Amino acid sequence: MIQMHAFYVFLGVAGFLVAMFLYTAWSTRHAKDIDYHSAYALRRKLLLLVAAVLVLGLAMTLAKTPYPRDQDVPSQVVFVVGKQFSFGISASPITNEDEYLAATYSTPVQVTAGSLVEFRVTSFDVNHGFSVYSPSNRLIAQTQAMPGYVNRLRIRFREPGRYHVLCLELCGSGHHRMRGVFDVK
Amino acid sequence: MRRGLGSVCLALCLSTPFYGQPSFGIRSNEAPNEDRYVYKALPDIVIQTVATADARLSTVWRDKPVLLTMIFTRCAGVCSPFLRSLKRAAADAEGLGRDYRIVVLSFDPQDSAADMDRMAQSLGLKSDPAWIFGVASPGDIRRLAAAVGFWFYWDPSVGQYDHPSLLIAVDRGRVLRMLAGAEVPSASLREVAQELRGKFVSSYALAGKVAFRCFEYDPDRGRYNLDWGVLLMLLPATCALLSVAWAFSPISRRAGPP
Amino acid sequence: MASVANGLYGESEIRKFRRMTVIWGATVLLLLPILALLGYFMRWVQAGAFTQLRPEWFYAVLTLHSLGMVGTWFVGSMAGVSYLLLRYTRPSLAVSRLSYWGTLVGVLLLIVCTLGGLFGTGWYFLYPLPLMSQHVWQPWATFTFFLALAILGVCWTIWTLDILRAIARHYSLSAALGWNYILGREGPEVPPLVLITTVSLIVGVAGFVAAVLVIALFAARALGVNVDPLLMKNLTFFFGHVLVNITMYLGVATVYELLPSYAGRPWKINRVVALAWGAVLFLILFAYFHHLYMDFAQPAWIQKFGQICSYGLAVPAGVVSIFGTLALVYAARMRWTLASTLLFLGIMGWGVGGIAAVIDSTVEVNFHFHNTLWVPAHFHTYYLMGVVLIILGLIDHVGKEISGLEERAARSKLTVALLLIGGYGFLSMFYWAGAHSVPRRYAIYPLEVSQGTLYARIAVGFITVLLLGILLYLWETGKRCLKALAA
Repeated sequence: MIQMHAFYVFLGVAGFLVAMFLYTAWSTRHAKDIDYHSAYALRRKLLLLVAAVLVLGLAMTLAKTPYPRDQDVPSQVVFVVGKQFSFGISASPITNEDEYLAATYSTPVQVTAGSLVEFRVTSFDVNHGFSVYSPSNRLIAQTQAMPGYVNRLRIRFREPGRYHVLCLELCGSGHHRMRGVFDVK
Repeated sequence: MRRGLGSVCLALCLSTPFYGQPSFGIRSNEAPNEDRYVYKALPDIVIQTVATADARLSTVWRDKPVLLTMIFTRCAGVCSPFLRSLKRAAADAEGLGRDYRIVVLSFDPQDSAADMDRMAQSLGLKSDPAWIFGVASPGDIRRLAAAVGFWFYWDPSVGQYDHPSLLIAVDRGRVLRMLAGAEVPSASLREVAQELRGKFVSSYALAGKVAFRCFEYDPDRGRYNLDWGVLLMLLPATCALLSVAWAFSPISRRAGPP
Repeated sequence: MASVANGLYGESEIRKFRRMTVIWGATVLLLLPILALLGYFMRWVQAGAFTQLRPEWFYAVLTLHSLGMVGTWFVGSMAGVSYLLLRYTRPSLAVSRLSYWGTLVGVLLLIVCTLGGLFGTGWYFLYPLPLMSQHVWQPWATFTFFLALAILGVCWTIWTLDILRAIARHYSLSAALGWNYILGREGPEVPPLVLITTVSLIVGVAGFVAAVLVIALFAARALGVNVDPLLMKNLTFFFGHVLVNITMYLGVATVYELLPSYAGRPWKINRVVALAWGAVLFLILFAYFHHLYMDFAQPAWIQKFGQICSYGLAVPAGVVSIFGTLALVYAARMRWTLASTLLFLGIMGWGVGGIAAVIDSTVEVNFHFHNTLWVPAHFHTYYLMGVVLIILGLIDHVGKEISGLEERAARSKLTVALLLIGGYGFLSMFYWAGAHSVPRRYAIYPLEVSQGTLYARIAVGFITVLLLGILLYLWETGKRCLKALAA
């Protein structure tokens, strides 16, 4: 789970940094002069080390973005409109208020597990955050629902079940209760 | 008894399109909405050309993506101008033959493969391997039409079919895009051609009058170009540079408080 | 002070400047507990207390707390840097006073539109939300909000330009940016304070101009012109990102200036330090792209460039300054006072928050962390445990310098312990919640993320400890400031 991996990486690196600070503070109990040349040499090494780690991080992650250049053609498109304070989610295009209202109250859209699904997400008013939560309540994907734009988010669902959509972009006083739902079968 | 039989025959004749001209679908003033059909699977029908008696449509789209359209050869209206416009736009868009092919099918049961071949010849496309002109069985045509919202209506008063002009981009048997209209704009076809090549545009702007957009999608190169809004984005840094120039100018430095 | 010896300022002018600095410090110390209590209140709401409260109150308080804190620590940093720059140049007292009164007016207007008008867009007032409140706040509240921003923006821009002008009086551009060190040329010695302040404030001007553009485009929308939401997002996040970063950098500048006197060692610019801060000047203009990763309308190459710049920014600002701090203090004959401890720990907090920020600036990770509690986790870390500790250390340093009142070691240790335990404990709940997909800015947690309520309850406990630390600090340092004011 990428969130926990990131958390442990953070704990590790931050823990190391805190340890360095504590060690440095403790070292002042036994004061002595330091050799600046050695210090500068150490700094050079540290800079190279950090730069190398960051370059490695970039190499490992830059290609992995949610802006897919899939060669796969999705099996299904799902249309999403965010509006204060509900998501309209439908297998048919949502082009006006009536279709949006119908989509917010209709039977949840069904998508097929294992197939590639494309969500076309927009907003009819302010920015919203179309954020997909798995049946185990983990955030697995998201994109912004921005007025005037349609964002295309492709997901291949592995786990069947009911997926909830929460809004993750502050959109007004009903932000926390804005939601949507669809099923993966 | 004979009168009853005659009435039945008359009723049958009246309910059946004259000379066997079928209509199909729901006639509408609006073109089929692309969004309703995107990623839908197309039926793998059998097509006949002068070269082949029974080629499957899937053998074509498995080889390369396809732009599919349906016309009829006796058309006195939009079909020929539409095909000519498609020919021009495809020449502009580049990639025809290399990245995709165009399949033109007739929905008119009276058209034969030879009729379609003659049509190709009239357009100067007979020997172009990137263009496939063919026919299919009425049943297959109806299945295909249903899959993409295409309709055709026989109007006996003018002896012509009324139908939309539709161009369907097909990749691996699924609808990728649909363009409707008698004229095929080159820019639209370039965009479609990009998608057929596998370019994925992760977002697109909805049409509408908006001041100072940041980016405009360029279908020619398949990427975003900077638009006027970017000038506004450059303004803060420009003002910062000007501030530095002002603060550190020799005049300011001399004229400051003692 | 050196500036008296250098003939830059007379004795009475120095006294007036000191007094203005103490007034700034006292104001910051007055705003701190109020704004902290607002944050405390928010976590209580998220913990499930105040169930009868209308959620509009939560969002209004959120807006005031976030904008208030960002502004308070910005002015704290500016006032601190302005005071320390007296050693080298002559910033204008009149401009400092103007900024002070402008800040007070701006803060008052913010209080009116949020607590009075329930304006609740969050600090980054994302277009077009201020204009589409669903009748929760009225147009007058929106107008008041933008008026507050405009007043704050104008005053702070003038202040920024004045400090640049003051630096330019005594340092050429190449000297102020440390180019002599980079090119290995002979030139005047430039204190790190001047270098970092120059870099930060050049970028600061850009940030304020972006804010002006945002306000102007909002006005255009109010008059019926449809503005591109993507452009507005870019401008808004550029402004916010710059403002927060320069606040931290100005805080770091004060550490470069003050910590050496506690360590008994100099901290000078050399080629590496000058190169590092020169790189910051460029990278910071583009790092803000990491706020728009989830806007797929932004071209992919820009998103990736944003990740590269965000990663890159960690090297100069972070590694060079953190290493410098550690090298300065390592085995030094260190005078550990409340001030020096807070300055030292502030750099540590800035580093910890920076690590979390770099992780989140990875597009692949951001896809799962964007707008979860990981985001407030990292910025509260480098703010609360970073720049706030630094400025509290600075205020204590100035207060001691002027009042002459010594501190009580035991109380100082207790203060630091409470701040650290309370602060990092509170933050740990943000990190943990973010890693468990709990969204940020939720008044109430729905069933899918109900664990957020538990984490908020634990956080409330830690914030109580933190507030005790703040109160103890205010008591001790407040006495020094009051005596300094009377001096």
